[in-house]
Amino acid sequence: MGEQAVGLLRKLGYSNLRHYVGGMAEWMDHHCAVEKSESVIVGVTGPSSTRAIAMRHESWLETIANWPLKWLVGFWLGMIVVFGVIYWLAGVGMGWGLQAGGVAVKPDLEGLGTAIYFSFVTALSIGYGDVTPVGALRILAVIEGIAGLLVFGCVISKLVSRRQEELTEEIHRTTFEDRLDRVRTNLHLVFSDLGAVQQLQADQGALTGQVVRRLESTVRVFRGELQTIHDLLYRSHVEPDEETLESILANLVICLQSLAEINASRPTANGHSAILDAGLRSIGNLAKEICGECVPRVYAPALKESMDQIQELARRLA
Amino acid sequence: MANPQAHEMAHQHLTISREEILERLQDRALAIVNVMPKETFAEGHIPGSLNLPVAEIESRARQLIPNSAQEIAIYCAGPT
Repeated sequence: MGEQAVGLLRKLGYSNLRHYVGGMAEWMDHHCAVEKSESVIVGVTGPSSTRAIAMRHESWLETIANWPLKWLVGFWLGMIVVFGVIYWLAGVGMGWGLQAGGVAVKPDLEGLGTAIYFSFVTALSIGYGDVTPVGALRILAVIEGIAGLLVFGCVISKLVSRRQEELTEEIHRTTFEDRLDRVRTNLHLVFSDLGAVQQLQADQGALTGQVVRRLESTVRVFRGELQTIHDLLYRSHVEPDEETLESILANLVICLQSLAEINASRPTANGHSAILDAGLRSIGNLAKEICGECVPRVYAPALKESMDQIQELARRLA
Repeated sequence: MANPQAHEMAHQHLTISREEILERLQDRALAIVNVMPKETFAEGHIPGSLNLPVAEIESRARQLIPNSAQEIAIYCAGPT
C-alpha cells in the first residue's frame, strides 16, 4: 500500500517522495518510540505545514456548527434564556430595563417573564415591538438578534445536511452493491473462459495462436475486474459484507489458480505474447495489493486465508 | 496501476531508512506520512507522523501538504 500511496502522490505532483519500506512492522521490531491516538500534524512545520495547521484551525462559529443537533438546540434555548435574565437584571440593578408600552417593566417575576418573552421575540427576529429595550440594552438586543440568527441557521443547515447525507449514503450503497454483483458474475465468466482455454490446451497439446488470442482477451477482462475490486476495497465509503467478499475472494482464488496453471504449462517459445506477459504481471501486482497488509479493513480469519492464498498465487504470476 | 509501465515507475522511487527517520524526527523539512486508515493510525504510529489514508490521498493531500516540493517519507503497516 505504501507503494500505491507513493504512486498516487506522484500523480498529484509531489516530487520529493521517499518510501519507508519497513513500515510500522520494522519500526516496532526495533522498539522505536510509538505515538498513539489521534495526534494530527505535530512533526511537520515550516512554511508548508503552518498553512496546513491554519486550515485545520476552525473558527468558533464552525466549532458550534459542528456540534450535534441536540447541543445546538440546547445552546440556542439556553442563550435566549440567559439573555432574558440579563435584560431583567439590568432592569433590577441599573434601572435601564425594558419598557412595555412606555412603562418600565417591573423587576419582579412577571417582569422576568416579560424579559424572556422579549428575548425570544428578538432571537427569532420577530420584533413585535410591544416590549422595547432602553439605553445600552438596545446594543445587547442587536447582538442577541445576530447570534440567534446564526445559531438558528446552524440548526436548519444541520437538519438539511443530515437528510442529504442519508441520501448520498443510500446512493453509494446501491451502486456499490451493483458493482459487487457485476464483479461476481464477471469473475465467474473469466473462470469458465480460463477453463475453456485449459481444455483447448489439453486437446491440442500446446497453445496455438488462436488460443493465445483468447487467453489474452480473458486476461484483459480479468485485469479490469481486479481493478474494480481494488477500487471497491480502497476507495469506497461502504464496506462489502463478509459473505459477498468471501465469494468474490473465493472466485478470485480459483481464477488465479487456473491462470497460474496455464501460465506454468505455457511453453516460453511457443506461446510467447507480450500482451499476455504484461497482463499477467499487472494482474499479479494488483492481486498482491488487494490482499496486502494495509487493506483498510479488519477481516475474519476465513477471509485472511483466501487472502494469503491470493498473495501466494500473485507472487507466482508477477 | 493503469498499465504495467506505470507500475514499473512506481518501483523506482527512493526509499528512506529507519535510521534516517529516527535521526530526523525533529527535522521540520521532512514530513512523515502514515497512509494507513485512521483507526490503525490511532493504535500507534511514528511520533509526529501525519495521517493520510490511501483512500483519501486524492481528496486531502493538497490540503495537508500544500507544497509539492516538500520532502515526504511514506510508510504503512509493513513491506507489503
